[in-house]
Amino acid sequence: MKPKVCILRADGINCDEETFYAFEKFGGAPEYVHINQLRSKIKRLKNYQILAIPGGFAYGDDVVSGKILATELVSFLKDQIQDFTSRKNLVVGICNGFQVLTRTGLLPFNRLGEMDATLEQNESGRFECRFIKIKIEDSCAIFLKPYVGQIIDISVNHGEGKFFALPKDLSKIEKENLVACRYVDEDGKPTQHYPQNPNGALNAIAGVTDPTGRILGLMPHPEKIIELTQHPNWRRGNVKALGGFLFEGMVKFAQQT
Amino acid sequence: MVHTIRVTKKGDQDSKGQDLLAQIKRTLNIHSITKIRTTKVYRLEGISKTDLKKFTRKVLYEEIDQKVSYNGSITKDANQTIEIAYKPGVMNPEVGSLLKAAGDLGIKLTAADSSWEYGFFGKITRVEAKDLITKLRLYNPLIEHILDQKPKTLLIIGKVGKTQILPIRNMTDVELMNLSRDKLFLNLEEMKVIQNYFKKIKREPTDCEIETLAQTWSEHSGHKTFKAKIMIDGKEKEPFIERLKKEALKHKKNIVSAFVDNAGVMDFYDGWAINGKGETHNSPSAIEPYGGAMTGSGGVFRDIVATGQGAKTVISTDIFCLANWDMNPKKLPKGSLPPRYILSRVVSAVRDYGNRMGIPTNNGSFHFHDDFRAKPTVLVGAYGILPKKYAKKGVVQKGDVVVSIGGRIGRDGIHGATFSSGEMTQRTITTNAQAVQIGNAIEEKRTFDAIIEARDQDCIRAMQDSGGGGLSSAIGEMGAEIGVSVQLKNERLKYQGLNPWEIWLSESQERMVLAIPKNKIKKFVQICKKYNVEISTLGVFDDSKKLKVFYGSEKVCDLEMQFLHKGLPQRVMKAKEVTKSKSKENKSPNIPKTQTEWIKTLQNVLSDGNICSKEPVLRMYDHTVQGTSVLQPYTGESCEGPNDAAVIRPILGKPYGIVVSHGLNPILNRIDPYWGSIWAATEAISNYVAVGGIYQDASLVNNYIWPFPDEESLGSLDRSITAVVDFMKTLKIPVISGKDSLSSTYRSDDNFVLKIPPVLCISAFGKIPDVKKTVSSDFKKTGSTIVQVGKPDMLSMGGSVYFSKNNLLGQSVPRVDLKILPKVLDVINQGISNGQIISCHDVSEGGIITAIFEMCLGGTVGAKINGDKKVRPDYFLFNETAGCFIVEVKSKKQVQKLFKNVPYKIIGETIKKQDLSFENLFSVNIGKLKISWQKPMKEIFK
Repeated sequence: MKPKVCILRADGINCDEETFYAFEKFGGAPEYVHINQLRSKIKRLKNYQILAIPGGFAYGDDVVSGKILATELVSFLKDQIQDFTSRKNLVVGICNGFQVLTRTGLLPFNRLGEMDATLEQNESGRFECRFIKIKIEDSCAIFLKPYVGQIIDISVNHGEGKFFALPKDLSKIEKENLVACRYVDEDGKPTQHYPQNPNGALNAIAGVTDPTGRILGLMPHPEKIIELTQHPNWRRGNVKALGGFLFEGMVKFAQQT
Repeated sequence: MVHTIRVTKKGDQDSKGQDLLAQIKRTLNIHSITKIRTTKVYRLEGISKTDLKKFTRKVLYEEIDQKVSYNGSITKDANQTIEIAYKPGVMNPEVGSLLKAAGDLGIKLTAADSSWEYGFFGKITRVEAKDLITKLRLYNPLIEHILDQKPKTLLIIGKVGKTQILPIRNMTDVELMNLSRDKLFLNLEEMKVIQNYFKKIKREPTDCEIETLAQTWSEHSGHKTFKAKIMIDGKEKEPFIERLKKEALKHKKNIVSAFVDNAGVMDFYDGWAINGKGETHNSPSAIEPYGGAMTGSGGVFRDIVATGQGAKTVISTDIFCLANWDMNPKKLPKGSLPPRYILSRVVSAVRDYGNRMGIPTNNGSFHFHDDFRAKPTVLVGAYGILPKKYAKKGVVQKGDVVVSIGGRIGRDGIHGATFSSGEMTQRTITTNAQAVQIGNAIEEKRTFDAIIEARDQDCIRAMQDSGGGGLSSAIGEMGAEIGVSVQLKNERLKYQGLNPWEIWLSESQERMVLAIPKNKIKKFVQICKKYNVEISTLGVFDDSKKLKVFYGSEKVCDLEMQFLHKGLPQRVMKAKEVTKSKSKENKSPNIPKTQTEWIKTLQNVLSDGNICSKEPVLRMYDHTVQGTSVLQPYTGESCEGPNDAAVIRPILGKPYGIVVSHGLNPILNRIDPYWGSIWAATEAISNYVAVGGIYQDASLVNNYIWPFPDEESLGSLDRSITAVVDFMKTLKIPVISGKDSLSSTYRSDDNFVLKIPPVLCISAFGKIPDVKKTVSSDFKKTGSTIVQVGKPDMLSMGGSVYFSKNNLLGQSVPRVDLKILPKVLDVINQGISNGQIISCHDVSEGGIITAIFEMCLGGTVGAKINGDKKVRPDYFLFNETAGCFIVEVKSKKQVQKLFKNVPYKIIGETIKKQDLSFENLFSVNIGKLKISWQKPMKEIFK
C-alpha cells in the first residue's frame, strides 16, 4: 500500500509541486489538500499517513515567517492535528513548513500551542539561495535511521532560518537527540562559518525532530535535489542527488507501520 | 481607539540597526550615534482590551526572543525615535494577514496597520535624526511618511464624487491641449477627433468617457508609433509592427499564437505549449523603484498567466539599465533619484516579489551607463507553460459574465498608462505620485492558483490582466467585438470615496478580468472561495457593440466600440534616415606596455559594472524554487562561474526543457542602431546556443525602450526594426511577442534634454528535447584544448568596455557576419550534443579574455592563451563581436573535424596552475582577478 501523503496548500505556499513529485517518486501517494478543505472538513487529516507542509511564503510571511498559518492551524485544526500525531503518523515541514511547525509548538518538544524555539532572520540579513552541505545526525527521527552519517549537498532558499532556542531548551534538544541534521563544512564538521552555515543557526542546526521522532522540520530543501540534474555541478561528475532520504525514509516507515 | 503595539528583539542583536549604523558612519561620516534599534510597530483599531493582549501574545510577539510594549515606548533609553509608516491610502500588504489572523482567532478587529520605528542612541536631535533618515532614503515620501503624531483612526472615509460633464465641444485648441497636458497625454489631432465625435453625437462627454478614450488611445495601450505610417526623408514605409509581423509569420513551424495575446505562445512537447513576454516598468521605477519594479514583475507574470485560458509562470528574468552607482551626484538631473538607491531598491523588489511568488529568477543582466540617470530601464521577462488546448486567445461570447478577481481597487496607479507614455520631466515626480503602488505577491499567487484550477475545469472563456488602464483597458478590449455592459457598484474597493471614473481607470495590482460562460459561474465562484480569492461580478457581454458603464443607475460611459477601438487616426510620422555611424571618433588606445599595465587593464575591465560578477544579487533571488533548474546561473567547483542562459525542466521527471536567454547592448545602438540591434539579437541567440540550445526551436521576444520618437530617434528605430527583420530572415525563426516604450527622453524646465541610450532587448526562449545535452561554462579538465569559434570583426572596437575604460567611444561597432552565423551556431550545437564540447561560453562584453577568465574561475583551473600575430593583442583579447564562442574540447584531434566548416582558431589549453597567461605578455593569478571581478557587487550588497 502506498502511504497517503497530505501536501498542504495555503495562500503563498509555493514548493507544493516539487514536494508532491518527491513523495510520488519514492512510492508515496501524495494529494494536494488546501487548508480550507480541512477547515470545512471536505477533507480530513485522518485519511492520510503523512502530513507535509511545503516551503513558500504562507500568507506572505507577514509578521514573522509562518506565523499566520501556524495561528490558523492551532485555531482550527488543533484536534485534527493532535489526533493525527497521536496515531503515530508522520509530519514534515520543509523551510516555511519548518517555520510553521516551530510556531505551532509541534517542534521541538511536541507542545501544540506553545513555542520553545524559533527561526530568526539570517545573520547575513538577507535571503540566501545557494547549495550547502548537511549531515544527517543520529537523532530520534526514526525514519532517518538508514541515512545517519550521510552528507548531502542541498539547496537553502530562505531569509529567516537561524535556529534559536534559549540555553536550557537548546541543551535539552541536544540531550534528547532532537537535532536531525546540521550544516557542515568540507570535512563534514558542524560549522558556524558563513556561507556553509547560511543563517548562523545555533549549534549549526538545520533540522530538528520531536521526542516521538515522527515530526521533522528542516530549513534546506531535500525535494529540490532528488535528481542528479538538480545539482548545480552535475556536469562535473563526482556529485550525487541524495535528497530522496527524506521521502524514501518517510514512505518506507509509513509502509511498515 | 487605536492601540499601538511595539515589538523588538531581546538582547543586542539587531542586524537591520547595525547595518544602518554602519551606513551612517560610512556614507555620512557621523560618529556621534552609538546604537540604532529597530522596532516593529502595529496599530490596531476596534479591538477590545482583552483581545488586544490575546492577539499580541498569539500573533504579534514571541516571548522567546522579543520584547513588547502596549501603547508606550519600548526603547525608553533611546534619544530619539522616528517612525516611518505608509501614507494613509497606500496599501500595506501586511494588513490583510493581520485581519485574517484576528478572524481565525475569533477576535474582532476593525482596522490595522504596521510600520517601523528607529531608535537612535547617542547625541542627536530630532531634526538631525529626521534629516539623516531622509538622506539615507529610508523612506520614499511618495508613499511613506515620518509619523509625528499617532493617528486617531486607521479608517479611510470618503464620499463618492459626482461624475463630471466636460464641455469640450466649444473648446479652443489651447483649451483642448490644457485638458490633455499632464493627464491625458493626447496630441491636438487626437483631441480634435474626440471633440468632433461628441459634436456629431450632440452631447458633451463625461470624465469617464474622456479618460477611457485617453487610456485606450495612449501610446502604452495603443502603440501608435508602431502602427504609424512612417515617412523617411519623404519616402513612405509600412508601419513597424506590420514589418515585424510579416517576416515573423513566415517562420510558423513552432508558433501557436503570435502578436495577438498577452504573451507569444510556441509549441512544446506532449500536448504542452510554452509562452513568453517582456515588459518594462520604467516610469514608475524612476520615481519609486521598489514599487515600480515590483509591479513590473507582477504585471508580466499576469501577462503569462492571462494567455489563452491560463498558464503557469515558470521562469522570471530581470534586466536593468542604470547609471553607474558611483556617478558624480552633480550629474543627477533635478527630480531624479541617485542610481545606487535605484539599484538596491529594484533588486530588493525582484527578490521580494519573485521569491514570494515561488517563481525562479534565473536569468538577467545589468547595463550601466550614466545616461540612464534620468530614467532607468527596468525590464522584466517571464515564461510559462500551458496545455496546448488552452493556449489560444479566448473569444468572448454573448451572455458571458464579466468578473474581476484578486485585489481590491484603490486610488493607486491612476493614470499609469497615460503617464508612462509621456516624456519624463522634473514635474513628473510631483505630479504623478499616484502612479506608484506597492505589490502584494501573495494576492497574486492565490489568484494564479485559482486560475489554474478554473482552467482545468473548463471555467474560463477569456482573460485579461488588469494592469495598465485598469478595468477600462481589460473590459474595453475583451468586449471590443460584441459590446459589454458594466456595473461599477459591484466592484470591491479598498476604501470608499472613489469616483466612478477612478474605479474604472484604477491600476490597482494583482487583478484579473475574466469572461466566464454563464453555466460555469457557480463552479468558478466555488474555486475562488477555496483559494481565498475575492470576486466581483461586474456585468455581461452583450450584442450592443457599445461600451456601457453604470454606477448604480447613472450611466457614466456610453461609447461605440467602433469609435473607441478604430476611431484613433493612424499617425503619419516623419523620420530622418540614419545610414552612417553616428560617432566620428577614430582614436585608438595605447597597447599596454608591461605585465603590470596588462594586469591593471584586465582588472579595470573585469570590475566594470557591465562585466563584474552579479553573484551577490543572484543569491538573493530564489533560482531553484519549483525544483526545475538544470543549469543554474552560477556553477563550477565553488559555484562562482556565470552561465549564459537558463535551462529548466518545467515538468519534473520529463527529459525535455526550456532554454531562456537574452541580449542587449544599448550603447552600440547610439553609434549604429542597425549593427547594435544585430548585436543584441546575435548575443541572445549565442547565449541560447552556448548552453546547448537548438536555435531552430527558439522564438524571440523584442522589447524596445527608445527615446521619444522625434525624427532622429524614429529614424534610428527604423534601422533597428530592419535589423530585427533581417535577423529573423537569417535564422528563419520568428519574433512572437514584444512591447515598446517610446518615452525615454528627459526634459527639464531649463531645456536640458537627455535621451537615454536606445535599448533593444531581444530575448530567446524555446524547447530542447533532452536537458542532459547541455553544458555549463566552467572548464571541466586540465590539458583540454581551448578553441575560439566564429568570425570576430577584430578592428571594430566601438562601444566596447575596453574602449570605455580608455574614455573612448569608437566609430564602428562589431558587425556580425550573418552568412556564417547559422553555420557556427549549428556546429556549436552539434559539438555539445555529441559530447565533444564539454564547456562553452559566448563572447560578449569584455571579449574572449573575460570569457576565458570566467571559465577558469568556474573550473578552478588556469589557461595558457596565444594570440594572432596579425592582430593587435589588446583587440584580440577585448573585441566584443557577438556570435563567437570559446569552447573546451577534450583532445586536439577532435578540433579539426568538428569545426572544419566554420572559422575557428585553437588559442590555448587549460592548465592545473590557476594562472591566466597570454603569450609572453602577462601571467596573472585567477584569484587576483577574481577579487577585482567580484568586488563591486560585494560592496554594494554587503
